[in-house]
Amino acid sequence: MYKTSIRGPLVLGDKTFGQISSDIITPIDSKLPAWWKVAFLISLIAAAWGVWAMYITVRYGIGTWNVNNSVGWGWEIINFVWWIGIGHAGTAFSIFLLILRQRWRTSINRAAEAMTVFAVGCAAIYPAIHMGRVWLAFFIIPYPNTRGPLWVNFNSPLFWDFIAISAYLLISASFWYFGMVPDFATIRDRATSKIKKAVYGFFAFGWTGSSKQWLKYEALSFVLGGIAAVLVVSVHSIVSTDFASSVIPGWHATLFPPYFVVGAIFSGFAMVMTLMIIIRKLYKFHDYVTDSHLNAIAKILIFISLIMGTAYATEVFMAWYSGNPYEMFTFFHNRITGDYTFHFWAMVVCNAIIPQLFWFKKIRRNLTWAFIISLIINLGMWYERFNIIVTSLSKDYLPSSWTTYHPTWVEIGIYVGTLGIFTAGVLLFFKYIPMIAISEVKGVLKYGKENRNHSH
Amino acid sequence: MNIIGVFNEETQLVDALHELKEQKVSIDEVYTPYPVHHVFELLERKTSFTWWAFAYGFMAVVLVLSFLYYTSVIDWPLNFGGKPSSAFPSFIVITIILTIFSITILSLFTFSVMAVLYPGKKAVMPDERATDDKFVVVLRGQGQEAETARLGDILRTHGAAEVYEK
Repeated sequence: MYKTSIRGPLVLGDKTFGQISSDIITPIDSKLPAWWKVAFLISLIAAAWGVWAMYITVRYGIGTWNVNNSVGWGWEIINFVWWIGIGHAGTAFSIFLLILRQRWRTSINRAAEAMTVFAVGCAAIYPAIHMGRVWLAFFIIPYPNTRGPLWVNFNSPLFWDFIAISAYLLISASFWYFGMVPDFATIRDRATSKIKKAVYGFFAFGWTGSSKQWLKYEALSFVLGGIAAVLVVSVHSIVSTDFASSVIPGWHATLFPPYFVVGAIFSGFAMVMTLMIIIRKLYKFHDYVTDSHLNAIAKILIFISLIMGTAYATEVFMAWYSGNPYEMFTFFHNRITGDYTFHFWAMVVCNAIIPQLFWFKKIRRNLTWAFIISLIINLGMWYERFNIIVTSLSKDYLPSSWTTYHPTWVEIGIYVGTLGIFTAGVLLFFKYIPMIAISEVKGVLKYGKENRNHSH
Repeated sequence: MNIIGVFNEETQLVDALHELKEQKVSIDEVYTPYPVHHVFELLERKTSFTWWAFAYGFMAVVLVLSFLYYTSVIDWPLNFGGKPSSAFPSFIVITIILTIFSITILSLFTFSVMAVLYPGKKAVMPDERATDDKFVVVLRGQGQEAETARLGDILRTHGAAEVYEK
């Protein structure tokens, strides 16, 4: 395999294989730090609020939300798309870099995949509770039943969405889990406590690291990686089709599938950056999550930000160029100006302008700035979804049904609850799972440090 | 009794394997902390896994399209604004997704069977350090002292940190 010297070493310091295992397993072996306990408690309180809000929704129906004529979709679909978007980049990051043989993925892929699994899990809550009668959610599963027999509509993007998200959750979780099997074996074989040996031994599936196992393991990784790459593109294209196949001004655009896919990857990469800065700082993983890694993510964010800016400009241009009065009204009187001006400009500033600061090397290298910008991007991506959904629905073709949308406490509670569930999941991941793929990092330990002709 | 050679470095292991292969020594298995492609080549390891995945995909496409045709055209045709029931283009997206779904589930099952890995399975390996920081080669013992000594020498010459019988 051709090796370039451009990127430099992927692991800093003169580390041995044993040291890598020790460094990465240390948080699992150590006592829980105070900040972890406080953060976990706050996450549980947030999650409890969310569970209360979900209970109210199921108990009294979706009348407890402020979705009504004409805003039939509100915070729930905004947050669903936001979570799915964040979930996208974990797999996109891990899989695209895997199939492109980019070795700098090794320090970051595990956390990115964990983020995907928790984010998609949070997203999956929304369609279920949005059905109102959540106990009838199984109606969407296609099987010959006693109600007809009646089949679901296989031509509906909403049904595609259900299957796509289920497949995405399955493949992301499997990819994440099987990536961890060799690391669980490392923990099992290094553990001195019997309980730890038994627990990690159970999850290690009897892994030995034999050449036969590694060969099949790599084949599985590439098969799952190859098909998940298709899924990354198709899932968010399908989510966008939920909108684009309608006749609502601001939604009915062929731009939507690429616009949504790129937007999803944008928010996910920003969340990967947020998480990796936290991991690097709190667990002192400077030698594994290097400046070079964060620099590479920042450069990707600049590129995607430019695409986002182009997409926003294209939408506005097409509204004007089409000459359609409804499109013109939505974009020029209900987004750029009007009741939702703040949301539109917040989206543009957060997603298309502020990330351009990453052009400056000083800002890319400054972790505080990088952290703040990554949070701003996620905020901006939330505003993007709000902008698309609420502005188009709030003022439809019939002025008598126009309304201004505000969420209720129940809607806010569900969102805060999913933030709590996500954070609690991430904290448990910090404590019980190796945050960096031990076996993969060992494979790139010598990368950039020697000129021998061997590769593996 | 097998002869176990323990190496600290991948390069030493690969060099030793080259030598063993040249001397036509039968290598039973190699255990490493990460995948080493030279080992696959030297041990002539091949897998039909990707072909199985392709077969699952092919099978899934045929089955899903047949299923969609049966449900949407034969069993319960619905009229959506006069569009034809047999709307092939609108079957494509769901076919892709269900195919991926099927490949994932069947590939995971196949991997579990082929690599003999399942929850709670006890790991049987010559040296537990192979999942951490050692590269371990296992040679089938011939039962003859001279042969054992010769193989041990080859391993040590190429940098084996330890050689023992097990």
